[in-house]
Amino acid sequence: MADEDVSPQSSYHRDAIKTSVHNTSAQRRRQLAVAVGKERREALIRTKRLCREALFDDNEASLEGNMNIDEERAVLNAQASQIIEDLKSAMTYQGKGAAQKKVEALRAVRRLLSKSEIPPVKAALQAGAVPLLVQCLSFGSPDEQLLEAAWCLTNIAAGEPEETKSLVPALPLLVAHLGEKSSVPVAEQCAWALGNVAGEGDELRNILLAQGALLPLARLMMSDKGSTARTASWALSNLIKGPQPNAATELIRIKGVLDAIIQHLRNLDDELATEVAWVIVYLSALSEAAVSLLVKSDVVHLLVEKLAASESLQLLIPVLRTLGNLVAADSYMTDMVLVVGHNTTNQILLGLIKCLKSEHRVLKKEAAWVLSNIAAGSVGHKELIFSSEATPLMIHLLSSAPFDIRKEVAYTLGNLCVAPAKNAEQPSIIVHHLVALVNRECISAFIHLVRSADIQSAKLGLQFLELVMRGMPNGEGPKLVEREDGIDAMERFQFHENEEMRNMANGLVDKYFGEDYGLDE
Amino acid sequence: MSNSPTTTNRHGSSNPSRPILNPAAPPSAPLLPPPTADRPGFALALLQFAATPSVDDHIRLAAAVHFKNHLRSRWAPSPAAAAAEEPLSSSAPEKEQVKSVLVSLMLAALPRVQPQLSEALAVVSSHDFPQSWPALLPELVASLRNAAEANDYRAVNGLLGAAASLFSKFRISFDNNALRLDLKYCLDVFAAPLLEVFLKTSRLIAGNVAGPPDTLRPLFESQRLCCDIFHSLNSVELPEFFEEHMREWMTEFLAYLGTAYSPAVEAEGTVDALRASVCENLQLYMEKNEEELKDYLNDLASTVWKLLLTPGSSPSRDQLTVTAIKFLTTVSTSVHHSLFGSPEVLQRICSSIVFPNIRLREEDEELFEINYIEYVRRDIEGSDIDTRRRIACELLKGIALNYKEQVTTLVSMQIQEMLKVYAVNPGENWKEKDSAIYLVVALAPKAGSSGGYLVDVESFFTSVILPELQEQDVNAAPMVKAGALKFFTVFRDQIPKQAAMALLPHLARFLMSESNVVHSYAANCIEKLLLVKDRVTVSGSDVVTLTPRYGPLDINFFLPQLMTNLFSALQFPESQENPYIMKCIMRTLGISNVNSEVAAHCICRLAFVVSEVCKNPRNPTFNHYLFELIAALIGRSGEKDQALIPVFDASVFPVLWKILVDDMTKFWPYAFQIFAQLVEMSKPPLSDNYMQLFHVLLSPENWKRSGNVPALVRLLQAYLQKVPNELKDEGRLHQVVQISIGLLSASRTEELGFYVLNTVAENLSCEIVAPYFRDIWNAIFTRLQNRRVAKFVNSFVIFMSLILVKHGPSILVESTDSLQKGLFMQILQPFWIPNLKLISGATEMKLASVAATRLICASPVLLDPSFSELWGKMLDSIIILLAQPDQYKGELENGEADILETLGYSTAFARLHYGGKKEEDPLKEIRDPKEFLVTSLSRLSASYPGRYRTVIEKCVDPANQAALLQLCTTFNCAIV
Repeated sequence: MADEDVSPQSSYHRDAIKTSVHNTSAQRRRQLAVAVGKERREALIRTKRLCREALFDDNEASLEGNMNIDEERAVLNAQASQIIEDLKSAMTYQGKGAAQKKVEALRAVRRLLSKSEIPPVKAALQAGAVPLLVQCLSFGSPDEQLLEAAWCLTNIAAGEPEETKSLVPALPLLVAHLGEKSSVPVAEQCAWALGNVAGEGDELRNILLAQGALLPLARLMMSDKGSTARTASWALSNLIKGPQPNAATELIRIKGVLDAIIQHLRNLDDELATEVAWVIVYLSALSEAAVSLLVKSDVVHLLVEKLAASESLQLLIPVLRTLGNLVAADSYMTDMVLVVGHNTTNQILLGLIKCLKSEHRVLKKEAAWVLSNIAAGSVGHKELIFSSEATPLMIHLLSSAPFDIRKEVAYTLGNLCVAPAKNAEQPSIIVHHLVALVNRECISAFIHLVRSADIQSAKLGLQFLELVMRGMPNGEGPKLVEREDGIDAMERFQFHENEEMRNMANGLVDKYFGEDYGLDE
Repeated sequence: MSNSPTTTNRHGSSNPSRPILNPAAPPSAPLLPPPTADRPGFALALLQFAATPSVDDHIRLAAAVHFKNHLRSRWAPSPAAAAAEEPLSSSAPEKEQVKSVLVSLMLAALPRVQPQLSEALAVVSSHDFPQSWPALLPELVASLRNAAEANDYRAVNGLLGAAASLFSKFRISFDNNALRLDLKYCLDVFAAPLLEVFLKTSRLIAGNVAGPPDTLRPLFESQRLCCDIFHSLNSVELPEFFEEHMREWMTEFLAYLGTAYSPAVEAEGTVDALRASVCENLQLYMEKNEEELKDYLNDLASTVWKLLLTPGSSPSRDQLTVTAIKFLTTVSTSVHHSLFGSPEVLQRICSSIVFPNIRLREEDEELFEINYIEYVRRDIEGSDIDTRRRIACELLKGIALNYKEQVTTLVSMQIQEMLKVYAVNPGENWKEKDSAIYLVVALAPKAGSSGGYLVDVESFFTSVILPELQEQDVNAAPMVKAGALKFFTVFRDQIPKQAAMALLPHLARFLMSESNVVHSYAANCIEKLLLVKDRVTVSGSDVVTLTPRYGPLDINFFLPQLMTNLFSALQFPESQENPYIMKCIMRTLGISNVNSEVAAHCICRLAFVVSEVCKNPRNPTFNHYLFELIAALIGRSGEKDQALIPVFDASVFPVLWKILVDDMTKFWPYAFQIFAQLVEMSKPPLSDNYMQLFHVLLSPENWKRSGNVPALVRLLQAYLQKVPNELKDEGRLHQVVQISIGLLSASRTEELGFYVLNTVAENLSCEIVAPYFRDIWNAIFTRLQNRRVAKFVNSFVIFMSLILVKHGPSILVESTDSLQKGLFMQILQPFWIPNLKLISGATEMKLASVAATRLICASPVLLDPSFSELWGKMLDSIIILLAQPDQYKGELENGEADILETLGYSTAFARLHYGGKKEEDPLKEIRDPKEFLVTSLSRLSASYPGRYRTVIEKCVDPANQAALLQLCTTFNCAIV
């Protein structure tokens, strides 16, 4: 309809600049706690895992090879109903060898749910598997029975969301069997099942937290047994990942947790370190309390060592995430830990450069992000990064990498040009960094960001242009920006619905290209 | 959108207080309740009207519009209303009722009413969704499923439209946890149903590919809305659901891009609009999710490319072309650029996509003819970002990033080819030449970058451009002429001075072209040419300076002709407010030596232009330059030749006066500034006209508009300086004092208030001012009680200093003490002494230090030994003030301008650069304030040997003592 407000173009003067650009220039960014996207860790380590191999010695495992996993779905489904029916009758059987019968029936269910590429979970559920399995978990049951039942539930929980949710009646018992009275294999299998449940979403996580799953899982994580600690860590990482920060804070406050984390990171077992690193990722992303404990602990040094030494992609990703979060969350990191001149600082920089050079896109991206947070530190940090190999690498990536990496790199390069703000003043510009970047023809890459459909990138682009126009010597900046078609890139926001962007862009155009532009002399 | 433009206009008001009914429509009193907008239930009543079938259609629409506007102003409690506890916003129960019925009423509404209710929904949801309206999204989903089930696409599209506006915030807001929580909620509820509906509609379309437009239009529209929602939901990051279902989405996207529908459907445009939305989504994915998209990229890029090769003429084709080429451009700059890397593909991209889109089309020709402003904006001001020409060049630049040599070769060959075709039949094939020029200009390397030119600029200029500029008929082939002028403008640095000079008369000729674009470009070309600077190395050093290439001697001979043509060009239809011409006039006069004759001539013409512009001012840029130019001419020429003053009075005064009389408030700040110049220049006694203006100036009404105030202050200062004695009469000084007291009372004008008072103190004799001191001090001290900020106190110190140096210390002391005994000494300690150190600006520093020096050396008040500590502290402050580096000395003249600019007026004050006031040093007789200090001190101490040495040793900071000692040495004085 034509009843929009009067076009701003017809008004005599534009709004005064309400938001100035430079206030937000040097910035640190923490991983946002609300995950909308698929978690990238899934590609490597799934949030939900099927348990195919036994945690204990299973003599009959070899028999399973005989089954044809290519069987038709219908056949599998029919089989599922049958097997559940068998379990049902085994449960009611009171005669001799009843316990053994039960275990065998359970084992059949477990085999069914473990082997096929697409386990017939749905059919098993329809046949009424959960109530039976809950029954099998009752207190006092033999370990073997508990184990098989928990295993079945683990694999049901690894399925579709609705299938995972069907476990709700089983949760109190699964949590109960995590306790110290259970045998290690049972507790571990229950942790696995619960990890799958927690991986489904915050609704189920909240149920588990309410049922007290956190403390026993934390105790399990302290175990000396590698597989137990690993499974518990993985389950915990699923359990605390928010978006509410309470669980993360609660976890770090449990006595012994931080020590266990440190101890596991010292271990040479990369897989264990990886799982533990994911726990720290969420601790550092969500909990201020955890951050302030972590930055003062040995964790940082251990992570930096892993970063420098490891070639394992699976490990490097959570290590980078944690380091980035810690630097973003607490200036203690740059002020006290990663002090310029310290060995740790050099080590982390080398590690990051290694990742920037890596072939793997995710590593490059995460490394650039960590670097952008360090680059928001002191002038010393900026100089250190600027004079390192990272800068030419990043300048190259800025115009040749996939677009998401270009954006991360742009944050870093932008941060390198701004000195930390003192008090409320606008931050001053590190002119020789800026000039060097401009001479390497970085402006057009930032103007490309201004044009981006991604509003965050556009803002970053505008912030850099502001630096160029304010900071380039001899007032050369506006001309350089104009030459690269920067004015019309900014004018795109003239009537933009995002008020901050509109004011930023219009303010810049008015200030540097207003009516008096080009009028001198 | 409404399908009746008249209705749209009639009800097209976002202002709820405006009548919404057409006065010509039958009276509606019996139907509508009286406007009791503040009463509860009003919104619901409106909504019911809008939804009642028995009510007349017009009234239902009116009610819907009013309903929407009512919600807009009342749904969210404004902070002011909340603070005042006014019941302006709607009550909670009423809100709940509105929310419970809005969706269903919107769906049931008349087609014309539906968009209004949909907007109303957007208003409500922008405040309430999702937290305070948890039922909305599930309701939309349920209705959407029902409507899709029933194949009711009017309802489907209404619901999708509503959802699209709900989700648009994800596109435009910055990423944060709160936004993500909302997004997650929306995704959980809506992502799956969206895909369901999208796929269902897809099946309907696929089953009816050859169907008629009427069947397919709502389906394509539906898919376009789905794409719009897709874009919003994917704007923050790639949601898990969309990643998992990427194949479904991409398959359908590919289908719409790759399927040809019946000619009637293709011509109708909805499918092209859908394709454009698809391309925007691809663009988004390309930028954000390159990795996940890469498996589909090959198919997508080649399908988009083929689509671009297919001719189409639907109304949405332009939009599609632009978005499609943008997508390809992004691909060409991505890591997947090798998709375009083979020689065949490069060749085809250039010849089938880039070059055809660079060719002028009929729409361009039309625009050139009928809307030159828009044409110029797109062609040379960079507002062409979304035109086919521009976007085609962007693609060319994109592929040239990685395949530079190949692209350069292809383009060079193309340019030669185009020129060859042109040469065969220039009359027919002029568009070929236009395209060739366009390509050379568009692909010119950025100045300073290392890239080479496509062609040799000078020889291209000589062989292709020059013949156009030398053509006798200025009206022939205007688009090619415009291109040639643009070329000259762009490459002005590279064209040797001699060649350019020879072309100046030709440029002046083209000012007389009937084509608005051509004479605008000619003016722009001259203006830009005169700005060219050369880098000159200062001999014997490696210092490089920028020196203007063209100076007065280059254009003086030619000035009368040029001015005649420029002013004549302003007579062309549509060019009466042509900013390029005005800027060119300004630049030309700025650069040349304007003699009195030219100045008189120009000022008369400009006065005429002002009088014309006043009839209907449209172009603020033009007007600003116009007044700027008048100010410049008056300022420069008036000083040189007193004989011009009557000319200015006769030509400029009447038009400015008319601006006041006709209440052209927009121009008042300009008028007052130029009046100020005229007053400053005139010789007392002032004519009646000026005395009448003085009267206007003093009317309090005019001071209420904040945009006027700086200009009024400037004018008032001019009067005070020029005719101080006239102030005695007719109670004028009383008015001035009242005005300044008014200005002092608000923080954003207080500085201006002090300017007025300073001018009064400076220019009026003591006897005249004396009766008003009481009022002035009263106002200042009252304000000082709650406002002790440095800005205010500094101004106060300056004001006192000025009184002291102009009228003597005793006047200052006595007049303040008359308010309250001993007041002066009470000011000294908390205000004067500490703030003296903070004074900045060369004139101000000199004034403040000299005044303070006189206070301690020549005034009896501080000579009493009981005040010796104050005396010492004052001296301490003076030394600190004088010890500051005198970095601002060179900026004496700009002091005031800076201050004016920093004032944050809501209606920005349009300051005239050339109308600025020159600040005068009120203490010309004193050469150096430092010297003044030490000689004064030396003289004083000689009268009381030993006394002040002791005071200095006791009360002055040791560092400052040392500084003082050094000053004594410098000026060869001694304190004994």
